[in-house]
Amino acid sequence: MQKNDNRAYLFIAPFVIVFLTFNIYPILLTFYYSVTNYTGMGGIENADFIGLDNYRRLIQDDFFFTAFFNTIRIWGMNFALQLGIAMLLALLFTDIRLKLKGVNTFRALFFLPNIITIASVALLFSILLDWNFGSLNQMLLSLGVISRPINWLNNPTYAQSWVALIGAWMWFGNTFIILMAGISGIPTDFYEAAFIDGANWWDSFTKITIPQLKPILLYVFITSIIGGLQIFDLPMLLTDGRGAPRGALNTMVLYLYNQGFSFANFGYSAAIAYGLFLITVVFSAITFKSMYRGQVKVKKGGTK
Amino acid sequence: MKNSWKLASLLCGAVLLAACGNGNGDTAGEGGGDSGSSNGGSGGVDLVINSFTDELQYPIEVFEERHGVNIDLQIIPTENYVDTLRPALESGSGAPDIFTAEIVYLLDWIEQDYWMDLDEFGVEEWSDEYVEYVWELGRAQDGNMKALSWQTTPGGIFYRRSIAEEVFGTDDPDEMGEQFSTMEGLMEAGQMLSDAGYRLFPDEGSISPFTMGNNPAPWVDEDDNLNMTEERLSYFDFARELRDNRFTALAPAWSPSWFASFNEPITYNAGWDDLDDADDSDGTTEVFGVSLPSWGLPHVLKTDATETAGDWAVTNGPSSYFGGGTWIGIYEGSENADLAFEFIQMLVNDEEFLTEWVQETGDVLSHTGVMEEVSEGYEDEFLGGQNHYEFFLAEAENIDPSHITRYDQRLDQMFGSAVGAYVEGDLTEEEALQEFYAEVQNAFPQINVPQD
Repeated sequence: MQKNDNRAYLFIAPFVIVFLTFNIYPILLTFYYSVTNYTGMGGIENADFIGLDNYRRLIQDDFFFTAFFNTIRIWGMNFALQLGIAMLLALLFTDIRLKLKGVNTFRALFFLPNIITIASVALLFSILLDWNFGSLNQMLLSLGVISRPINWLNNPTYAQSWVALIGAWMWFGNTFIILMAGISGIPTDFYEAAFIDGANWWDSFTKITIPQLKPILLYVFITSIIGGLQIFDLPMLLTDGRGAPRGALNTMVLYLYNQGFSFANFGYSAAIAYGLFLITVVFSAITFKSMYRGQVKVKKGGTK
Repeated sequence: MKNSWKLASLLCGAVLLAACGNGNGDTAGEGGGDSGSSNGGSGGVDLVINSFTDELQYPIEVFEERHGVNIDLQIIPTENYVDTLRPALESGSGAPDIFTAEIVYLLDWIEQDYWMDLDEFGVEEWSDEYVEYVWELGRAQDGNMKALSWQTTPGGIFYRRSIAEEVFGTDDPDEMGEQFSTMEGLMEAGQMLSDAGYRLFPDEGSISPFTMGNNPAPWVDEDDNLNMTEERLSYFDFARELRDNRFTALAPAWSPSWFASFNEPITYNAGWDDLDDADDSDGTTEVFGVSLPSWGLPHVLKTDATETAGDWAVTNGPSSYFGGGTWIGIYEGSENADLAFEFIQMLVNDEEFLTEWVQETGDVLSHTGVMEEVSEGYEDEFLGGQNHYEFFLAEAENIDPSHITRYDQRLDQMFGSAVGAYVEGDLTEEEALQEFYAEVQNAFPQINVPQD
């Protein structure tokens, strides 16, 4: 028995070794960077130890807080849209009364935007949204919706909304598939019973689908917030890479990237990474807590 | 990318993942990626070269033929170049034998132990034959030569001869250069063009290289003070003047309308502004010129201004400037340094090869000996027979390398955005300036910005 126990370590060793080398070691190294004034050049051994100065700077850094709120705003809009669309579609396609055909085709279609490279997406939209020659403005103008062209990417609110919208467009298919799977997992008996009892659509949605879907929603929420807090590529590629218009697209990771790689403040950028890490932990913890507390209540309600 | 996050988070838990992400992004991810790519070209490779353009393709083919060696050119896209290469240079593993650098980070890199000291090959002897600023930019502060460049990239104002003839009564580059030699002269030209229904430039950014006027000064002085000269601040007013008087066509650089403006009348403001006060009845206007560095001729105008080929000329603006440029050097730890140097020697100092190459590309080279020979009696068809080599070499001589700092590109970008926000009417001049100072201070805490 004893021998068998030891052998088990061998089997988990590959994961542990990879995890330690590629995850834990960089995390610790990043912390070491964050207490130095390393510029990213000239070797870490030549950098000075500056204690918690980078962290002190971080908590007073308006640019970081703006980046935080930009990120949250973009993610929030994105998530609401993405979840709304995905939920609506998932409900339509799983409705036992509608019995829509071609689920598989639509599933593939909805997922398509997700497999386009983000660089192509950014290029595509920057051309679509071009002020003078963009097809969107041309279309809106000829339809008479607007009387002057809108400089979409030069207005902070519009630019953030577009990033959120593009993100939602790219990701709703993914969320749709997950929600579909979740809803399909709910026993149809529940709906049939509710139907017989005279429950309308809204009742079965709020009283059956949502509570039963809670673990799935939790998963969607957490993965989305982790992805959302790290949004980088689209804001980077859509405008000048430094957060134009006027800092509206400066997200936390973009800020981290620019501090580290464009402005050669590598140590400070490591501190930002830790700030971001902490924020992610806090958000995940809050989500976890509130979601699970909610679920316990439902269970109690059920037994009474 | 995001998808793998989602999968991975199932495995190792949401919270840990965020941390992994950060750590990976900073170190292991890049390092790992790079060593992978440089191992890719094994199999009898004598030299590995990293660059961000394919310009070196031709010289490499020539070199391989001459020496019977095998060179592996790894092209890393510009936007990933620094992130990919720097970890290899920092850690010393997986670095190529030769690599290039753009002016944006050149001055940072020559101060590091990335490139080897080229003085041991005696390159200093060549210096008389090179454009001074190009040569000096490859020199580290301790006086050692770290990198060389085969090209020089001075800029000028390209303009349409037919429009010049109509408005100014001449299309002669020297006479036009006289007109453009001061900012006031440039604005006057803008007015004359506007009266005739043309627009001076596609956008306000076209004057940004000239805003130093006749008094160029470095962005940051020796004591790390941000140098906001009167001339530099005048960019705000000149940009506003261009916009308010409709001397520009609202076609930002590199946008579709910018390219279109080289060929045909473009819809001014896409034809949808209130046209009551605009004099162009059909809502279109023709753009007179554009400021571009020397590489703009072969790589932008000749490729995109096909309709108007032969109708162009180039002349000076109020001040001489340069834009972009690629430098090349040998990796400090290269085991094939001698062969690597052979290559660099051919690339920058082999007159026979360079003469051949310049005829292939039309680039302006930094080797003055070769250029003098090539430009002798040269007439460029696209430029209506003008000898642009002569013009650019003269401009290159005017550039003072002591005015160039490692911050230039970033500060130019930031200042450009600030002026843009002012011209768009989003900010007042004071607000834009304060925002610019805050941004500079944040990016480069070591720089002292003016305090009120």
